[in-house]
Amino acid sequence: MPRCRIESLGVSLPPGPLFRRGSIAHAVRAGRACLESSHYNREDVRVLVNAGIHRDGHVCEPAMAAYIQRRLDINVEFQGRRTLAFDLQNGGCGMLNAAQVLSALLLSGEAQVGMAVASEANGDRRPAPAYSYPPSGAAALIDLSPRESIGFGTFAFHTHDEFSELYTSVVSLKVARGRIELRRGAELEEVYLSKARAVVDEVLEKDGLRREEVALVVPAQISKGFLAKLPEAIGFPKERVADYSDTLADTLSTSTFLALHEAMKGTECAPGKTVLLLAFGSGVTIGAASYRW
Amino acid sequence: MNLTQPPHAPVRPAPAKVKIESLGVYLPDKVMTMEELLSSCRRRPRWDLERITGIRERRVAEGEYAADLAVQAARRALAMSRYRAEELDVLVCTSISKHNAPDLFAFEPSTAVLVRKALGAKKALVFDVVNACAGMINGIYVVQGLIRAGLARCGMVVSGEQNMPLAATAARQMRHDFDGQIAALTLGDCGAALVLDRSEDERIGFHLLDLVTGAKHDHYCFSKPSPRGPGGMLVTKASGLQRKGNEHFPFYFKHALDQTGWSLDDLDHIIPHQVSVRAMQNSFKAVKRFLGTDAPDIVRCCADKYANTTTTSHFLALHDLALHGELQPGHNLLLVSGASGIVVSHATLTLDDLPERYRAHLAGGA
Repeated sequence: MPRCRIESLGVSLPPGPLFRRGSIAHAVRAGRACLESSHYNREDVRVLVNAGIHRDGHVCEPAMAAYIQRRLDINVEFQGRRTLAFDLQNGGCGMLNAAQVLSALLLSGEAQVGMAVASEANGDRRPAPAYSYPPSGAAALIDLSPRESIGFGTFAFHTHDEFSELYTSVVSLKVARGRIELRRGAELEEVYLSKARAVVDEVLEKDGLRREEVALVVPAQISKGFLAKLPEAIGFPKERVADYSDTLADTLSTSTFLALHEAMKGTECAPGKTVLLLAFGSGVTIGAASYRW
Repeated sequence: MNLTQPPHAPVRPAPAKVKIESLGVYLPDKVMTMEELLSSCRRRPRWDLERITGIRERRVAEGEYAADLAVQAARRALAMSRYRAEELDVLVCTSISKHNAPDLFAFEPSTAVLVRKALGAKKALVFDVVNACAGMINGIYVVQGLIRAGLARCGMVVSGEQNMPLAATAARQMRHDFDGQIAALTLGDCGAALVLDRSEDERIGFHLLDLVTGAKHDHYCFSKPSPRGPGGMLVTKASGLQRKGNEHFPFYFKHALDQTGWSLDDLDHIIPHQVSVRAMQNSFKAVKRFLGTDAPDIVRCCADKYANTTTTSHFLALHDLALHGELQPGHNLLLVSGASGIVVSHATLTLDDLPERYRAHLAGGA
């Protein structure tokens, strides 16, 4: 079975408190870093998917992906090489969803190279106290893997819609320019923890993997307390679950890929090794995917 | 050497076709005429918008929100489908207007989660795809990819568009006759849903889905919370959008026909994005200039009755054609969309017995 791989990964890490960038600037910064370390040219990107949630000006039309496409200068005209850009929204799991959708489009022959990008920023003048995500960006170039043993294995997403009210983010239109209102139930992390094992088990079973064959689990960096409980919840030893919470805060849609970028500096992301990506988001949805280097 | 095979046979087999297995459209009952909408404007524009746009009236959701319109349409599509909600492998919601409560625009959870919950689609992979008015065609493109890659057997693309809050903002905030928000007065509300699955017959289903974003032109139309006061606003540079669209759209129109292997004579219906009657006429004048010949009288329009229902407009037109007996099994369709971004999208498809099943279903009191 052919696979798709991450050909290149770029990030735009949260800056210090005195320096603010918007969501488009973060996405473009991550996209540029991704293209610079890639063997592809920007013109090769046929599909651009943006999975970010909170965006400059709370724009809902056109797709933010079009703004990002223009600033990355990826086939911005209709003539010649062409690109389709669209948004995919699914909270914290969106970028993993985007990777799955791009893989499907690549495997079905619709495109040869795609880019998944996500960024978060809150430009409100007085941000809601519950909004805790530092601005950030992540971008991944995805292509067909040259070998069937390399790249993404199974993607699995479990949605527990009975908890759909547990996490909501809306833009209030009662005030000029809008304002993000975010509500996070106190038991959200407990629900994540109680439901994570099933999705991990599904990926491992479908890919025929045993837990000891996974070099590292790379989860979204929800919180320090959450990451302390996660290893037991998913049945992995603590040292094989990546915890970068001292340096990386939860950044919503970009969090899993920022953590993967960090993990790639270590020895666990070496050829032949397998990692497990884990994302958590509203819905409540938990997503997982195995990735073999 | 096997001489029955060409020496350089393609390694990748031709991708399977995906077809519309079921259709559901939900129109709210309340009708609002253009005159009523114009009368509600704090500063009524001097233009005769009914004459300029050809839009006489639209439907307006009352006590229902965007997610409700999507759920109603999805229920109708499932009522006619051979699939049950719990059999759907993927559910993609493509609404732009996520007005799921008064004065709120919802980002999370995704609207697809809310539709999944209402339907009981327990195993469906869910997420939202947002690409302005090209959303539903984009959603079909994504579900087609998942089906072709073997990740899904059947899927739903659904959209609920409650656009009238944008028209209400325009009515409150327009300052002059050339105000960018004036195009919001051409909007209407609607829900639409499709069930898609793999076609068993090579002649049936989507032959081509061609979408391209000309991001250099992303400034012609945008929607966001208004800086002038409460409410969301839609700002459109209508003439620029139309001019730029007309420059490029005829090329892609012919490209879609060429790629499908059709000529104009093979088409039974051309269904454009129902922006306004005038805009559609202008677009097809541009096509006529490009092709050097008159297109047959097959451009279908229902914007006069339902206005611009954004992502749902092609499938509302399909519903209208089926209802009036103009859509028949085996008909060849070309769906054309121009959306802010600017996204130009074309889809060519051949219908199975969907029109007959749809009419029988509606006659059955659905």
